[in-house]
Amino acid sequence: MRLTIPVAKVLAALLVEPEAPRYGLDLMRLTGLPSGTLYPVLHRLQDAGWLAADWEDVDPVAAGRPARRYYRLTGEGIRSARLALAELRALVPSERAGGADPAGAPAW
Amino acid sequence: MTRRVAALLLRVAVRRWPAELRADLAREWAAELHELARTGRRWGMLRFAASLAAGRAATPLTDRAGSRRLGRTAGVLLLAPPACVAVLALAGVVMGLTHGWLEMRVPWATAAQLPTWSALTALLGVALALVVARAARRTVRVGALPTALGVVLPIAATVTATLALFAGRGGSRVWESAPGLLLWLALLTAALWAAGALARRGRVRAAWLAGLLGALVAADAAVILAVVTSIPATAPVADGLPPDSVDRISAPLRLFTCWTDSSFGLPRPTGWERFLITDRVLVEPMFHLAGTPYALAYAIAAARPAPAAVPGPESVPAPA
Repeated sequence: MRLTIPVAKVLAALLVEPEAPRYGLDLMRLTGLPSGTLYPVLHRLQDAGWLAADWEDVDPVAAGRPARRYYRLTGEGIRSARLALAELRALVPSERAGGADPAGAPAW
Repeated sequence: MTRRVAALLLRVAVRRWPAELRADLAREWAAELHELARTGRRWGMLRFAASLAAGRAATPLTDRAGSRRLGRTAGVLLLAPPACVAVLALAGVVMGLTHGWLEMRVPWATAAQLPTWSALTALLGVALALVVARAARRTVRVGALPTALGVVLPIAATVTATLALFAGRGGSRVWESAPGLLLWLALLTAALWAAGALARRGRVRAAWLAGLLGALVAADAAVILAVVTSIPATAPVADGLPPDSVDRISAPLRLFTCWTDSSFGLPRPTGWERFLITDRVLVEPMFHLAGTPYALAYAIAAARPAPAAVPGPESVPAPA
């Protein structure tokens, strides 16, 4: 898995609450990524087995909206993402390591 | 109006993704668009759809997935025929060891040689087929004829290389096998084509039946041709010894004779004829036995219809 900045942002957002299912708009809000960048990243992560996608079990009539597709890190994804982000963090110069994330993504 | 434009942009966007992902993506993005519309975010809808329509990341994704599939396909199709040769050699070695152990203990040790080799080859061939069929689910999906050719051409290349190797080591009659092998490859291509075409229509059982029958006919015809072109039907009797000929009447049974060294209780082929047949064609029928299971398994597995795009039972509960 090539760790680009968008990939790192998505992983960081998912790692905040690894067990929480996230849908596309939710992840766009958390990462600040546009949809055209986010969805390819999500599919790359699925291809790598780091991310699982499941359809929401909801009655569209009762809920008044279509079912969403939720994403969640797999066990392997959690381990690999933590390791990859730790390696990435180790590469960041020390004066910036403690600073705020420029994209406003959750701290990782 | 905004929603219609956004929906149009999403239709454009979804076409840029691999075909097998489109239904899911369209459904997913429609749900997101609905959420944006429900909360009155008109510009958000347009930005969401336009970004997907204009984004360039989907193409490399397709390329990467396609490259991986292509690499996997080439790997499976190129490695399987040498694996068949290895299967044949391994079964032969085990047969030799078994015969060596049995010959001082039981009187039927020699009679068991060919059946042992055939059984081991078939067993290992089926094991190879299981591995190949599993790999075939994630290979490039093309038409039934290209798939059949993709299976058969690497077999032809492997056979040619193997024959060339033996010819280079002084095997004077090696190339006499060529007509029979060419006929086998041609008929096997037809059998795989038919099986693949049936599997593509979802008729998997019929595909297996047609493929197995076709492959048997291909192998039998190849053995018949090899015997007919090298052993005459009649020959003069000399010094009271049986003639060096094989009566044509037993022709359809020759493949099974080669596998079992048996006449199945029939008067033909006689014991001497069986010796002549297996002396002339020994390895080829075994190679057919080793290669047919995987070839058929690949042709059918690769031609099966793609799984439905809309997911089934896996779902997550709606978060509060």
